[in-house]
Amino acid sequence: MSRQMSRNAALAPILAGAGALALVLTGCAGGTGNAAAPTAFTYLINSENTMIPGQITALSEDQCKTENTALPLKVETVPQTNLDQKLQLLAGQNALPAMYAAGNAPALTKTLDESGNVVDFEVALAEIGALDDIEPAAISTIKSLYGGKFNVLPYQYNIEGIWYNKQVFADAGVEVPATWGELVAASAAIAKTGVTPFSASGEQGWPLTRLVGDYLFRDLGADALQKVADGDAKLTDPEYVAAAQAIADLGAAGYFGQGVGSIDYDTAASQFLNGKAAMFYMGSWILESLNDPERNKIGADNVGFMPFPAVEGGKGSIDEYPANVGLPSTMSAKVYDDKVADWLGCIAENYGSAALKDQGTISGFKANSEVSGVDPLTQVVQTTISESTSSVLWFEALFSTKATTTSQTNAAQLVTGAISAEEFMKLVQADLDS
Amino acid sequence: MKHVLGDKRAIAILLGPALLVYTAVMLVPVLWSLGYTVFEGNTIIGFTFVGFDNFTRLAGDPKVWDAVLFTLKYALVVTVGQVFIGYLMSLLYVFVLKKSSNIVRTLVFFPVVLPTVAVALLFQKLFEVAPQTGVVNSIINSFGGESVDWFGSGANAFLVIAIMDIWRSIGFYGVLLYAGIVEIPEDTLESARLDGATGWGLVRHIVLPLSLPVLLSAVIFSINGTLKVFDTIIALTNGGPGNATSPLTLYMFQTSFSYGEYGYGSTIALLLTIVCLLVTVFIFRSSRRDLTKA
Amino acid sequence: MTTSTLAEHAERTVPPLSPSGRRRLGSRRPGRIRAKLAKIPLNLAVVFILVITVYPLIWLLLSSFKTNDEFVNGSVFALPETLNWQNYIDAWTTGNMGQYLSNSVLAVFPALALIILLGTAAGFALEVMVWKGRNGVLLAFLVGIMVPGQMILLPLFTVYFQTGLSGSLWPLIITYTGIGLPLTTFMMATFFRSIPREVFEASTLDGASIIRSFFTIGFPMVRNGIFTIALVQFFFIWNDLLIALTFTNSSALRTIQVGLLNFTGEYGATQYGPLFAAICINVFGTLVIYLALNQRVMKGLTAGSVKG
Repeated sequence: MSRQMSRNAALAPILAGAGALALVLTGCAGGTGNAAAPTAFTYLINSENTMIPGQITALSEDQCKTENTALPLKVETVPQTNLDQKLQLLAGQNALPAMYAAGNAPALTKTLDESGNVVDFEVALAEIGALDDIEPAAISTIKSLYGGKFNVLPYQYNIEGIWYNKQVFADAGVEVPATWGELVAASAAIAKTGVTPFSASGEQGWPLTRLVGDYLFRDLGADALQKVADGDAKLTDPEYVAAAQAIADLGAAGYFGQGVGSIDYDTAASQFLNGKAAMFYMGSWILESLNDPERNKIGADNVGFMPFPAVEGGKGSIDEYPANVGLPSTMSAKVYDDKVADWLGCIAENYGSAALKDQGTISGFKANSEVSGVDPLTQVVQTTISESTSSVLWFEALFSTKATTTSQTNAAQLVTGAISAEEFMKLVQADLDS
Repeated sequence: MKHVLGDKRAIAILLGPALLVYTAVMLVPVLWSLGYTVFEGNTIIGFTFVGFDNFTRLAGDPKVWDAVLFTLKYALVVTVGQVFIGYLMSLLYVFVLKKSSNIVRTLVFFPVVLPTVAVALLFQKLFEVAPQTGVVNSIINSFGGESVDWFGSGANAFLVIAIMDIWRSIGFYGVLLYAGIVEIPEDTLESARLDGATGWGLVRHIVLPLSLPVLLSAVIFSINGTLKVFDTIIALTNGGPGNATSPLTLYMFQTSFSYGEYGYGSTIALLLTIVCLLVTVFIFRSSRRDLTKA
Repeated sequence: MTTSTLAEHAERTVPPLSPSGRRRLGSRRPGRIRAKLAKIPLNLAVVFILVITVYPLIWLLLSSFKTNDEFVNGSVFALPETLNWQNYIDAWTTGNMGQYLSNSVLAVFPALALIILLGTAAGFALEVMVWKGRNGVLLAFLVGIMVPGQMILLPLFTVYFQTGLSGSLWPLIITYTGIGLPLTTFMMATFFRSIPREVFEASTLDGASIIRSFFTIGFPMVRNGIFTIALVQFFFIWNDLLIALTFTNSSALRTIQVGLLNFTGEYGATQYGPLFAAICINVFGTLVIYLALNQRVMKGLTAGSVKG
């Protein structure tokens, strides 16, 4: 092919021209100037999330009307699968909007922060005197996620644990397990009654790796994964492999039911909500479904919430709930000005109570005005959050995007036994090392 | 008269716009991206020159070679399946259905029109193992077999992807190949029949050699699609379980846009382009040989 | 081959629709009953093929009336408990399908027209016209068929952004045209190869009129080939997700395929009912276009094979 091309005089100038043009354009792309002051309060969010933009739109028509007149709110959405790509492309053009969803993994947010695209909220909120509007627990979760920096806004604040079906527990004659050993014993008893002990989505992957992470926190202590991120420990170390082995054993015993690898999120949720599974490890965002009698066929009264159990002889405490801020949003430092700051102040003051009142969702913003009529299960979670003193993250929280992908796509294979615990940890560690 | 067809202005008017758009949208961006193969970084943190690091990394990256292997395996199986079954369909249209083939052709063409998302959901349901037992597992159960977790292992998932991709495109290849066969002059077939050629004999000795050109274009068509498969995999397995069903395109896209390693991503893309080129040249070469034999 | 034999060729594509010649041939064979019996497995095969191709459409339609609960927990085969039109209302209003449908049409058809016009003209220039270096240019187009589409995303995004085109459907139209051109040009050149140059030489006296004869003689002669290419390109562009995802920067510009992604939740939940309703709107919309064009399309595909 190349021989034929070189024989052709006509093609050479075209290719040369194209190459030159490419160089010129590349040069241009590198040299874009600073972004101009924003003319709108543009919010780029993953289209899957309708709660936050809906709530902020409501604020713009009510409590934040003044801010909205000065700098009108404009919501843009992008599908979650495409969010990271979009952020990279926009950041490359210095064109990130005033507020945006911060990416699928904390690693991307950190990169954005390093390139000066992220507002430091500790400074920004202190300047406008609104730092008190944020729950301290939320700030500590965010800081442990982003290497000690308050880089994202906690529009959601979720804790995770095991939701269980009280009736099924009673039928199988088991108490709420406090240790891993008791949990395994309880699963065995439940399996004998013909109910699947755990409902989990292997298609999503993360509901399974969460268990691995939690086991590590309970067994090795809250800093177990920080050590891995810092390079002080490896996932392939025997005490880390033991955690993966514990989860793999649950799978080997058939406690996740059949075909866990292809079960999607909805199926997993509906198995629990229809009483076909006894336990469901999930974040507090599932409250929306649990409080919905249309979806929750077993009844909200019948649902209990327990922390991930302790591991016998482990260093971690059962009171350390895994916590996260969902897919968080942040603000662009490059277009942050007084008008955006006004918006930030208004959101910090009003978002917490508005979200709790209108949608029953718990955020990391304090509910500054009294809200009544909160669902009992939601109240349980609220109390748990306010009473907890420290929290832990999740398995992949401090990993690179690549290691995160590897971990979540291989999780199903871990519980189906297609790969061993050692192989699983080796795969993830390999991506951490590269 | 030659000068009329050699008129420079006419050539410029006819070819100019297409060449301009093609150069601007394809050639320049491709060369531009190729330039990134000697850099590393992404648009957020900027690019640094790394020389040939990306290429040495490529050579030592087991994931790339897994992906190449999967891509080739997939392209081979699906292309052979698409073209072979499509060819059978076209024979069915021409020699068996004859008059009624129009409506069958139209109906069999339907799956081509369906969006990938819908097809993938359908196949996920068909091959489901739990909580419902899908159609395929029901059939296996009725023969006394155990239900299979189709998406649980790489080999099974591969099978489902291949079946799905072949299924959705047989209508297309059926009609494309039908074109080649129906153009074979009736006299040729008639005289072959008088010589005693019937059924498969007729197909093997007369129809097949005469429809080789259209078969070749169908193969090239198919192989270039299957080597660059992307949507189907994303929708059905997203490369899983693990990365057992990750083709090069998916690995390249993830590397560039999820992992933020654009330079390395471009290097993988270059590898894919070379693979496409080699395979196409190989097919052209081997088909030439066959054609001269025929 | 001359013009008249080409016309005959086009005619010959019709016979399978009324294959009087072959039918006579078949009925002359002995043992008609045995032949009929032998055909039973074949007929069964045809029925089987039809079932596995048409059933999914019925399944789609049924699923579009189911609630999420029915879809997730019910049997795949079960009929919907009620005709749940709410799914369609959701798809149309919250899913914004009307807007996306119009975006798709506005992006796809101009691009399709450009691909056909520019690609056919280029194919003509590369195959019919005589000049030095045309093989090289043809090869350059061939390279375009091989290159994976993911490679051009970043550079093009930068250009569209810098030129301010990002806020419109232009990036989609331009990119689709550029990506569609290599295959179209290559295929059209092959179609023109079967038409002898003398046809054009005879009808042309000077340089200007060669362009006229391209439109009046060349274009109509490859009409069937154009239909083939248009069909292939239409399905490629209509079903494209990658380019539409990358180059649309506001929800107002989304195409229908991108819109289908709207029914998934943040943690992986999917609203199956509205999703299927949206897919049905998409599929049955396309089917109407397809059935309307069916006769032409089938003839186009039939006549438009590559003659090596």
